[in-house]
Amino acid sequence: MCDEMKRLPYGMALIAAPVLCIILSLFFGRYTMDFGEVMGALFTPAQMPSQTAHVVWQLRLPRALAAAFCGSALAVSGAAFQGVFRNPLVNSGVLGVSNGAGFGACLAIVFLGGGLSTYVLAFVFAVGAVLLSYFAGRISKMTTSMSLVLGGVIVSSFFNALISIMKYMADPYTQLPSITFWFMGSFASINYTHFYAFIPMALGIAVIFLLRWRINVLSMGDKEAFALGVDVRLCKMLIIGGATLCTAAAVCISGTIGWVGLVIPHIGRMLVGNDNHRLIPLSISLGACFLVLIDLLSRILSSSELPIGILCALVGTPFFVYLLKKTKGGGWQ
Amino acid sequence: MILTVNNVSFSYGKVDALHHVNLRIKQGQTLCVMGPNGSGKSTLIDTILGIHTPKEGTILLDGKDLSQFRREEIAKHVAFIPQTHGITFPYTVEEAVLMGRTAYTGMFRAPSQQDRQLCQEALLRVGILELKDRPYRELSGGELRLVLLARALCQKAPLILMDEPTAHLDYRNEMRFLEILCQLCIRDGIAVLLATHSPEHAFYLESRGVDTEALFLKKGVPIRMGRPENVITEDVLADVYGVKARILSEDGQRAIMLQRSL
Repeated sequence: MCDEMKRLPYGMALIAAPVLCIILSLFFGRYTMDFGEVMGALFTPAQMPSQTAHVVWQLRLPRALAAAFCGSALAVSGAAFQGVFRNPLVNSGVLGVSNGAGFGACLAIVFLGGGLSTYVLAFVFAVGAVLLSYFAGRISKMTTSMSLVLGGVIVSSFFNALISIMKYMADPYTQLPSITFWFMGSFASINYTHFYAFIPMALGIAVIFLLRWRINVLSMGDKEAFALGVDVRLCKMLIIGGATLCTAAAVCISGTIGWVGLVIPHIGRMLVGNDNHRLIPLSISLGACFLVLIDLLSRILSSSELPIGILCALVGTPFFVYLLKKTKGGGWQ
Repeated sequence: MILTVNNVSFSYGKVDALHHVNLRIKQGQTLCVMGPNGSGKSTLIDTILGIHTPKEGTILLDGKDLSQFRREEIAKHVAFIPQTHGITFPYTVEEAVLMGRTAYTGMFRAPSQQDRQLCQEALLRVGILELKDRPYRELSGGELRLVLLARALCQKAPLILMDEPTAHLDYRNEMRFLEILCQLCIRDGIAVLLATHSPEHAFYLESRGVDTEALFLKKGVPIRMGRPENVITEDVLADVYGVKARILSEDGQRAIMLQRSL
């Protein structure tokens, strides 16, 4: 009972934090607005100047929402992959998602002129890369975590080579910069048409959220998880599938942001420990807050918008080191 | 509860790992499975767990074919203590032991308050309740064994398979483990399949009043099975392990004195 009572405010805080971050991000940007204007635009958009309402509803809000979703998706898939592969050093890109998506985006930029096709191809190739990793890592009917990770490494380097070919072929004045910026990640051109990507993300997050306690058991290794009563194959497939949907969709709208999937789960572990039952919800919340705030920073720091991939690492690393010192690593040493 | 292994054979590719193994374990009984490295002890455990499917023969639990059981149903009847346990994430002792409740926890759920209660009882039972909140990575080898034992007890299975649980333990921790094992068999009526390198474990359990059987495997072939005093003889030790040894008796307990390799 006491436990239940403690859990409720905690859960509310996890939901409230990203919502507050999103609302906060509405107040800042190049078009300056005061508190009343933003509130007015939010709640009574019809009575406000069309420009004000447009900035809040069409520019800042979709951007913040997209950042929140991507942050959650990347963080939660990172945590899930780390647990299932029993390797605290892997990130969301472990099965080749990032490089697959990168190649898809390159193809679209070079041959299809970018635009919406970038998202579609990035998503398709991201999922394709994971399937390839799976088949590459499949040794005689058995798929061990190690062979899957190995498959991921191989497929990643394969797509990396393909990306290099595309860069080599790309027009160095127009296409090559687009490719480079895509990899650094940005939410600058987000609008509501991109929200289709929320469907796979929401689906993936939901699957991992529901199966989160099972990740603990899977992290004991296949044999022990099996002996403890888990249908290892089914469970792994669902979790890896969910994490793949999450990362593929996130990466295709935000470019490759590897840092979030690696570090946010570790920050979570330092705060609440290793139990995925608590860690997964926290990762979802933290990832969303983190990426919304980073995107906000990228908008206000310079007028030309620093790519978020850069900011993530620049801001996140000192914070991570601080936490590492403060919590003495949370039992890792 | 009676587990019957009926004429079970298994091979890795062409290499025979188990050859027509027959055995029975019932409540309150300990079966010590012994044999040199690679003799099939772990393979036997894996086959009972359902990780390997026998090429021949059947494994029956109370007369029902184990291969027809659902995964979590097997886990409710058979628990497992691994020989080595790789630690990736520093879970607390409580979190690690709670994983024993997996078979009773719905796919989308986490252990309940009642499961936590059972976890406490299991920790108390093996005498490490005070370690509850410690990261289990920081524990000594002996304490880690007890955590894995508590996890198996949490699973509430009438049969526990133990794969060399006392390997790498010092004398005191080995004794502690065996003492708890005796209690589990005698007081709680748990059945144990104990794969061990030390035939003296069988002598010890027998001398403490546990219903003990011994089985020797050699290259997957069962050599002898029966009461330890009948089965563990100087001839068998010479045959199975290739050592010249003498069996001594003192205070009603037998012991083995190794002399030389053959």
